[in-house]
Amino acid sequence: MRAFIEYFAAIGRTVVTLGDGLAVTGSYFLRRPVTLQYPDRTEKPMVALLPERSRGMLEVDLDRCPGCTACETACPIGCIRIEVSKGKPRLITRFDIDLGRCMNCGLCSEPCPTECLKHTKEFEGGMYKPDLLLIHFVEQPVPVAPVKKGEPGPPPKPLGSILRRLLTDPYGRKRPAPAPAPAAAASAPAPPVAVAAPQPVSASTPPVSATPSAAPPSTPATSGGPS
Amino acid sequence: MAVAIPHREELMLNMGPHHPSTHGVLRFILHTDGEVMRKAVPDVGYLHRGIEKIAERQPFAGFVPFTDRVNYLEAIFANQAYALAVERLAGIQVPPRAEYLRVIAAELNRIASHQISIGSVSMDIGAYTPFLYLLREREKINDLFEALCGQRLTFNYLRLGGVAFDVKDEWLRRLEAFLDHFEPAIDEFNSLISANEIFVKRLAHVAPISAADAVGYGLVGPNLRASGVDWDLRRDQPYGIYPELEFDVPVGRGIRGEVGDCYDRFWLRVEEMRQSCRLLRQAVAKLPAGDVCAKVLRKLKLPAGEAYGCVEGARGELGFYVVTDGTDKPYRVKIRSGSFAALSIIEHLSRGLMIADLVAVIATLDVLAPEMDR
Amino acid sequence: MQLLAERIATWLGMEGLPRQAVVAGVVLVVALVVATVVLTIAGILTWAERRVAGRTQSRVGPNRVGPLGFLQWVADGIKLITKEDVIPAAADRTLFRLAPYPVIVGIFAAFASVPFGQKLIAADLNVGVLYLMAITSLVVVGVLMAGWASNNKWALLGGVRSAAQIVSYEVPSVLAALSVVLLAGTLSLQGIIGKQGGWPWEWYLFYNPFTFVAFFLFFTSAVAEGNRTPFDLPEAESELVAGYNVEYSGMRFAGFFLGEFANVYLLSAIATALFFGGWQIPGVTPDMQAASPVWQAVGVGLFALKAGTGAFVVLWLRWTMPRLRVDQLMGLCYRYLLPLSFAMLLGNAAYVWLVPQWAAWVVQGATTTVGLAVAGVFVRRVFYHIRHVGDDVSLDLARGESGTFDPQLQVRVYGAFRRRHAGDSAS
Ligand code: SF4
Ligand code: SF4
Repeated sequence: MRAFIEYFAAIGRTVVTLGDGLAVTGSYFLRRPVTLQYPDRTEKPMVALLPERSRGMLEVDLDRCPGCTACETACPIGCIRIEVSKGKPRLITRFDIDLGRCMNCGLCSEPCPTECLKHTKEFEGGMYKPDLLLIHFVEQPVPVAPVKKGEPGPPPKPLGSILRRLLTDPYGRKRPAPAPAPAAAASAPAPPVAVAAPQPVSASTPPVSATPSAAPPSTPATSGGPS
Repeated sequence: MAVAIPHREELMLNMGPHHPSTHGVLRFILHTDGEVMRKAVPDVGYLHRGIEKIAERQPFAGFVPFTDRVNYLEAIFANQAYALAVERLAGIQVPPRAEYLRVIAAELNRIASHQISIGSVSMDIGAYTPFLYLLREREKINDLFEALCGQRLTFNYLRLGGVAFDVKDEWLRRLEAFLDHFEPAIDEFNSLISANEIFVKRLAHVAPISAADAVGYGLVGPNLRASGVDWDLRRDQPYGIYPELEFDVPVGRGIRGEVGDCYDRFWLRVEEMRQSCRLLRQAVAKLPAGDVCAKVLRKLKLPAGEAYGCVEGARGELGFYVVTDGTDKPYRVKIRSGSFAALSIIEHLSRGLMIADLVAVIATLDVLAPEMDR
Repeated sequence: MQLLAERIATWLGMEGLPRQAVVAGVVLVVALVVATVVLTIAGILTWAERRVAGRTQSRVGPNRVGPLGFLQWVADGIKLITKEDVIPAAADRTLFRLAPYPVIVGIFAAFASVPFGQKLIAADLNVGVLYLMAITSLVVVGVLMAGWASNNKWALLGGVRSAAQIVSYEVPSVLAALSVVLLAGTLSLQGIIGKQGGWPWEWYLFYNPFTFVAFFLFFTSAVAEGNRTPFDLPEAESELVAGYNVEYSGMRFAGFFLGEFANVYLLSAIATALFFGGWQIPGVTPDMQAASPVWQAVGVGLFALKAGTGAFVVLWLRWTMPRLRVDQLMGLCYRYLLPLSFAMLLGNAAYVWLVPQWAAWVVQGATTTVGLAVAGVFVRRVFYHIRHVGDDVSLDLARGESGTFDPQLQVRVYGAFRRRHAGDSAS
């Protein structure tokens, strides 16, 4: 008798629990899907939907970099390479970041004294060759920026604008011809150093990202800078 | 499910390294008689990345992002275990706010990890939908983490001596809103799958592990507790501020079958998610003001010595044994992970199981290849 | 069929032709038409499956090709046709190539006696039910061939599982169908439909408690025969990778695939004919329907609707259920389905023999009420689940959340989560 009851109880349990399961999945026919239809049907470009602290690909604003190489030392996998020439004026002759190897850990931007090395929110950097992700931020040797720790320095550029230009033109075909090296201008600290390359942003509007510099200039409302 | 094996022919099947239910790259060599297994021999090493060796060329602080990669589903725990070991060596005092933030991050991470774990149990049993429901909830946790520390998976949130970023009140409110949403979502998941009779029948009475076996094979965490051994590092070997928080440690009771069977292991994780929610609410309520990181030298140099830091991770005890020799780098780091122990018991369990049961066993033991191979 | 052939021959002015030739020609044309219809149905069902999967999993599903992604199945078909047909080096080449055909033939031939409408049936066999059960068993030959010929152990296991499963579940499904045959007194599907009526309480589903249970037994066994979740052990993605068709690619894979989906429609069509009154329209007698082409069209539409709903339920089941284990599968068949379907058959026999007509009406009414009550409970549960997680009802078929960004909280929010705390974040 016990076995008999158990036999039908098992059938009953199966029917009831399966029915309840069907009710759960069935309820989703009446509910809105949660899919975010990346990339083309989002409300804003995805980059604008990322939070402030999002650690995307790195970019460095050479106008504000005093060439202290703190970031190079901090990087645990050594994917930053900086070369600063001796002599006067000191020139940054090389500032490479291998974004293909970078693990976006954020250890390099923490010690940066002038906050010129920053994580952008950019994350779409697909390239046909991995070595194209080795970004050369120095196109022409640049004098080190005479910015000290705590000083404001030149105003920061919109986050991501430098990187986006370099990423959408990895072969450097669209960049303007190098201007003569501004040896004289380097001695005048007051105006932002007239560097040849990073100015004409609008000349080569990147074709890839939907709205260039849609990201608002980051107001550090977040209380969480690197602590 | 012991099944009599009448005759002796054997079929050797190669399950993995690319198989839908070996989580990560993991290989089993199955000796089967039809559907019934003689034994399943695991073969490890496909995901070995030499993380322990990497530690030896990194400064102490520089190794933290690599610990994220020990197990991509529970990065915070690896962060924390390593940080505990080094802090013990260096005698760093972690500020209380940082401790609370560590608890918040860890418990959120535990929920996220258990979501994947129990979700993949249901997926391996053949129900795909519950897995996606849990992934949907996990997405919200990932968003919270992204807002907290900038990354969705490899957080690198902890620093030696504290955490990297402070939280805003809005973030905490958002976290509470998530918990309000998530607790009913667990009920929904339960009515969809945990109560489902087919699902119960697939897991109950399958591959029970006795308490003696569990201890003998060195199982830890949920797998150990499911066998009825009441052992939780958060309570029994406290670290951080866990002693100040209230929580229960669920233990396997054999609710649908016998103690230590697959269903117990599955159900224990569901319960633990609820306990984590409870811990999170307390931690948010009690969060003190103050610093989030102690002052730690960037080029930390430690005297010769050794220390073991371990935490109760989502897959059990995750420990980092750090040996120093007076330089600014560890001399040796050894990682102890729960998945490896869990894997070692599979060969013992597999006798007489069916192929479909093996899949359930792997999933409920929550064996994850990267954590195993490091 | 022969009569029809003669009529066509007369109409074409070709009375002189040998009769066999005309018959052969007509058969060929009819077969082509049926095959095209079945292919289209199967294709549409693949799209439907992906939409259903998407919606149950709170995703969107295919939505780029055509409205609601409807043309996705055409795109998939083109892709599969143009794909390379890989044959493993160690496979038994002949068997490997042949294997999809028994599957396709078995299922497509079954459609010959599916009564899509009162007049719309390729061959109204007087042994229709038997024919359907017999011809679909051809599938197992193809599956076994595929499993064996692939020279892959996973495929072999899948093939063997499938053979055991299909052969076992044949029995309860036939027995459950026999209940209806017993009541109708005929094996012809048109005859069975003719005995039912248009209104739900005139269906065999609600005829008496025994047929009510018999329907569920039939449905379960038919789903199991079709290798659908929760009985998809031969394919068991998480265990056997893909089972018997693991080595197949391109159009040969599509053969198995379309066969499976055509089978889903087939089983719902049979269930419609046996239990749901087929093409019967509420309030319209078969005679009235025979007289008017309009009613005919409505009947065809109604049949398609009923069978489509059945297919939808099969798809929906797939995305809800976990999978049984092999021994449990056999246990379910031999311990539950088989004795129960025997009991239902005996119960029906006793019912026909013992219960007078006036009592039958009462029983019919009571069964219908019970059925509706179960449906009502189910609907309540659906809304309970929606409320429980604080979501709200939305029938927007096309779009997912567009996803908004909360600048203050720096968190991306969407779903129920967002709407519930919308006021919260605005403040
Ligand atoms: S983010 Fe990490 S890996 Fe990348 S460059 Fe900075 S320190 Fe190196
Ligand atoms: S740490 Fe900052 S300032 Fe120093 S070299 Fe790197 S980018 Fe320039």
